[in-house]
Amino acid sequence: MPFELGAITFGEITSDLTTGVTPSPQQRMAETLEQAVVADEVGLDVFGVGEHHRSDFIASAPHMILSAAAALTRAIRLTSSVTVLGSEDPVRVFQNFSTLDLVSNGRAEMIAGRGSYSESFPLFGYELDDYADLFREKLDALLAIRASNPAQWAGSAHTNDLRRVDIAPRPVRDLPVWVGVGGSPASAVSTGRLGLPMALALLLGPVDQHLRTVAMYRQAASEAGHDSQHTPISINTHGYVGSSSQQARDVMFPYFRIGMRENNHQRGTGFDIPRRAFDAQASEHGGLLVGSSQEIIDKLMTYHELYGVTRAVIQMGFGGVPQKEHLASIERLGTEVAPVVRAEVARREQVAA
Amino acid sequence: MSRALEVVVVNGSPNERSKTGGLADLVTATLADLLPIEVHHVGVHRLGASFTGAVQREDVDAAVEAEIGAVETADVLVAATPVYRASYSGMFKHFFDLVDQYALANKPVILVATGGSDRHALVIEHELRPLFAFFQAATIPVGFYANAGDFDGTTVLNNEVYSRIEMGLHDVLPALIRATEERPDADPDLRDQHGAAT
Repeated sequence: MPFELGAITFGEITSDLTTGVTPSPQQRMAETLEQAVVADEVGLDVFGVGEHHRSDFIASAPHMILSAAAALTRAIRLTSSVTVLGSEDPVRVFQNFSTLDLVSNGRAEMIAGRGSYSESFPLFGYELDDYADLFREKLDALLAIRASNPAQWAGSAHTNDLRRVDIAPRPVRDLPVWVGVGGSPASAVSTGRLGLPMALALLLGPVDQHLRTVAMYRQAASEAGHDSQHTPISINTHGYVGSSSQQARDVMFPYFRIGMRENNHQRGTGFDIPRRAFDAQASEHGGLLVGSSQEIIDKLMTYHELYGVTRAVIQMGFGGVPQKEHLASIERLGTEVAPVVRAEVARREQVAA
Repeated sequence: MSRALEVVVVNGSPNERSKTGGLADLVTATLADLLPIEVHHVGVHRLGASFTGAVQREDVDAAVEAEIGAVETADVLVAATPVYRASYSGMFKHFFDLVDQYALANKPVILVATGGSDRHALVIEHELRPLFAFFQAATIPVGFYANAGDFDGTTVLNNEVYSRIEMGLHDVLPALIRATEERPDADPDLRDQHGAAT
């Protein structure tokens, strides 16, 4: 399996760290599309947009943004990262991504996720208490819709009977549906059982923290009769590819600290991640993909060895990294990192075969 | 003129390079970012036969006596131990059995522990804190715990541990800064006044 590299964004609207100016949604949309164009030009394999329903993000409808990106790009695959499936209508999700697939000539993908933010549940009238059930049932429904039209789906607590309805348009090819897993053993097992590719999110922590998650995923896949060695796994993490080891850390840290405030609570409020903690995450055994091109190559090879991942998707603009630096990182990932990692993984697979 | 605080780390781990030492080093490094300190380390498993065979304080040799003395006169004590058989290691307790009963009274003590999993995290509250409550020490409110999975070697890779240390140290920072401005050893006037009053 060729190794794939990609860039993702959440389309955050964050005030500029030095000027304090908050970019307009229009400006961020233009910048997001420019990121997709550059990612395509430098030969990256995937561009992803994550779904967030808040005023400090522009991407509540990733398929719309990806559709615009499709018109501006040539070969890059376009994915949601993630689609918060539990608060969506699986019929509409399928229609949206089938449409994207037609617009992009077969480049659409999605990562179905439970979502790490919960705003969409009350927004669309769902109970957060049903979070797990909603996701499970809608994923099953989506897979049934993908498998045939009409779908062999009788409906259940949160979905309708679809056996006598026509769901169109149909995509160019089978729409790839990945499942976003944050590390909970239960989601890894259920994803493995379905034989679906797993998009493994690693926010912070040791690079090998998901060994058990991946083992459980593969075991569940193989017990359910899937070819567990060839079910793709991707690693989705934060990072920045810099001109040097130090430059990468210095550029990424101030923005990452801002972005992380909301995810790094102490006593109920956001707390700045200390630089020392960040540097530990950037070290050889930490999860962050930040550093020089060579450091990123080395850590991607570590991820490949540890988990057998064949795709790495990196969020390089988190916390409002200025566009210029963000694009520079996308470019280095495509031109300096990707060719080496693809060749090295291919060489190792040839040796193993 | 402020002075550097004498910080003494007592490490209850038997290992030369220990996770407990790694976590304690993270605490002292974070503290060093905030105020001037000098750090001294006491590894209770490396104090030798006069210590391990001591039934009472008089049995230890001069080197060990100096280490116990350093703990007693420290400005700040970092009490760090791995969880061993559901508590601090025996050697760690043996060390504090030899420390003078009143030497730690009102002394800032930072509690640090490591364990095989988070199931042991309350060892700080249920084992370490009562020990220093006996000494009437001023244990800081937040204890610092990390499990084996939080480490690469002796480097902590759990972001929350870093944030917790920053938060816990900031709780007591004003008092520690005040301590750097006092010179108890160079304040004979104050001592004389107390002496005269009694």
